[in-house]
Amino acid sequence: MAERPKPQHATDKLAFLLSLVPWLIDQGSVTVTEAADQFGVTEAQIRDAVRLIAVSGIPGETSAYQHGDLFDIAWDRFDDHDEIVLTNMVAIDDSPRFSGREAAAFIAGLQYLSALPENADRSAIDSLMAKLARGASATPSQVAVEATDSDATLAVVRESVAAGLQVEFDYLSSKGLHQHRRVDPLRIESIDADWYLRGWCHLREAVRTFRIDRIVDPRITDLPITRHAADVTLPDTLFEGSTDDLLVTIDVAPSAVPLIADYMPDDANSTSVDGVVRTTIHVSHYHGLKRLVASLPGVVTVVDPPEARRVVADWARAATARYESTNPTAPSAT
Amino acid sequence: MPAARKKTPAGQPLPDTAPSGAPTSAPTPREPAPPRVPVEERLFSLVLALLATETGLTKSEILSTVQGYRQRYSTSGANANLERQFERDKDDIRDLGVPLETIESPGQAGNNQTLRYRIPRGSYELPADISFSAEETTLLNLAAMVWREGSLSTESRRALLKLRSLGGTADVPVLGYVTQLRSRDAAFEPLSTALERSSVVRFAYLKPGESDARVRTVMPLALVQHQGRWHLSAEEADTGVRKTFLLRRIVSEIIPTGTSFTPRGGDQSSIALRELDEVWNNHTAIVEVMPDSDAATRLRKRRGTETAADDTLRLHYSDLNIIADELAGYGPEVLVIDPPALRDAVIARLRQTENDHG
Repeated sequence: MAERPKPQHATDKLAFLLSLVPWLIDQGSVTVTEAADQFGVTEAQIRDAVRLIAVSGIPGETSAYQHGDLFDIAWDRFDDHDEIVLTNMVAIDDSPRFSGREAAAFIAGLQYLSALPENADRSAIDSLMAKLARGASATPSQVAVEATDSDATLAVVRESVAAGLQVEFDYLSSKGLHQHRRVDPLRIESIDADWYLRGWCHLREAVRTFRIDRIVDPRITDLPITRHAADVTLPDTLFEGSTDDLLVTIDVAPSAVPLIADYMPDDANSTSVDGVVRTTIHVSHYHGLKRLVASLPGVVTVVDPPEARRVVADWARAATARYESTNPTAPSAT
Repeated sequence: MPAARKKTPAGQPLPDTAPSGAPTSAPTPREPAPPRVPVEERLFSLVLALLATETGLTKSEILSTVQGYRQRYSTSGANANLERQFERDKDDIRDLGVPLETIESPGQAGNNQTLRYRIPRGSYELPADISFSAEETTLLNLAAMVWREGSLSTESRRALLKLRSLGGTADVPVLGYVTQLRSRDAAFEPLSTALERSSVVRFAYLKPGESDARVRTVMPLALVQHQGRWHLSAEEADTGVRKTFLLRRIVSEIIPTGTSFTPRGGDQSSIALRELDEVWNNHTAIVEVMPDSDAATRLRKRRGTETAADDTLRLHYSDLNIIADELAGYGPEVLVIDPPALRDAVIARLRQTENDHG
């Protein structure tokens, strides 16, 4: 799905104002920079919000928005020193409750992250979820994610980083090669049910991405970590494209396009003919391609190059051959 | 001079921030246009006014006195546009979780003109005893980040603003995490809205093994992710039978029927997850894996896998067609032994791939 930058909606601005005011009250005096850092917004957004707050208030007894019915700030400190000091407060004292959907977003996010070692203390997580439900203005929406057990590999990785020591493990690449890897862990990433470790690989002398479920027997070494997350710029995309990448033309059912979106280059040229989308994906080698295509039978078909078609066909044929040899009565492929 | 400063914002030329699609209440050309108040200023002023009132304000009190409405209020009584604006604003404010209440005047039930509006402070403010430790703040930051793309991203962003409002700071995590839950199913967004509003919806659903989609009319009860896939748990409107639908198999748009139902109460999402777990536990497959293969490594790490013999694994699954796709991807590394239906399904998939590429 294409991402488009959204203009900030008026309701988002309202949510921001209702959150900013109680924080400003608590702070007493604060700089525009500090406020921007706290809320992760620009200084211009803070200044705009403060100017709006300073002229807002309630109609009051006279219904005329008189001086005492409005917020006020110390204007000289704001104008001359970029400082925010509320000198008159109206109607608002405390932070707003979460909406039912907001509480649900937090709760389902926590459930999704239950594999993290940080979330291993289930009773602490349960009490946090209960607190969110109590702090919501409505029952949290019924959106939930299946919780999983704390992941042993992630726990070892986190421990190694905390100790400042490299982690080593056996790794089975998608080409089917067994390798011993020693890694400075940099980041844990996930997309839905797939989890990855990104780290500096001492075997390859480069940043590499490892699937957590392909890591076998992880253990902490006694070698200190040489590269830290702060030293290495990690590309945003999980799979670093490389000049060695192979381009493959495929036909795909329109409904399945999102399933292969991660493999499509940004400038992929897609055409639609007879209800089938013809597009290009890039893969680092055909070993990964054959697994991907075989898991989407009848949905994705390789068109070109012929070598790629052959690799996929061979992969499927090797499998059917095994079934035929174990069950001689099965009709053979035509 | 501060008092003078207060006057300026309303007089400044302001960007048109009216929501798109809203009918514009163009003043008659001969009258001078009232100074335009930005939408957020009108909404903020409405919240402040309704928080400040104990007894509530009537609609005409709001429209004639609150900043952003009063400028457009006509004393002669033609305020239909403004009244519609107020209705939309109420919805927007409630979407943020602000408990905007209506109170009927004694003896005047059903009379819209005497209906009073207010925001009770106790249900608006976060209870004073709720605070979050640095560890909890770290976890909540991570939890919100999960939704940064797509559905619930608006909600998680607003939830973070409210969390930051409390002033707590997060721990610097030992290890960086960039985690992401995607709901790529187009049905997710409209279904979560329907869930929120308890509205009955209609969609076409393609059941595996059937060649034609059938239209279902259901009351959505929960949206749950199980084994990486989103499911809708819903009650069928005509039979009252509770069913689980895989979002990926919904092949039409989600069409609201215009009717709503009484929310069922209880922890519907836990019930839905429990049902899916039960199905998962009851379905097992026996497969033989090639030693040292990708299949051997990854299927052993799959949830609930037991080793039946050296290279024979017992797997759990919830949907035969989905696990058949998954196992077909492993090609010759997996040989399905049992059940026969799964074995046949995998063979059929492999033959299709072979034929498509032969």
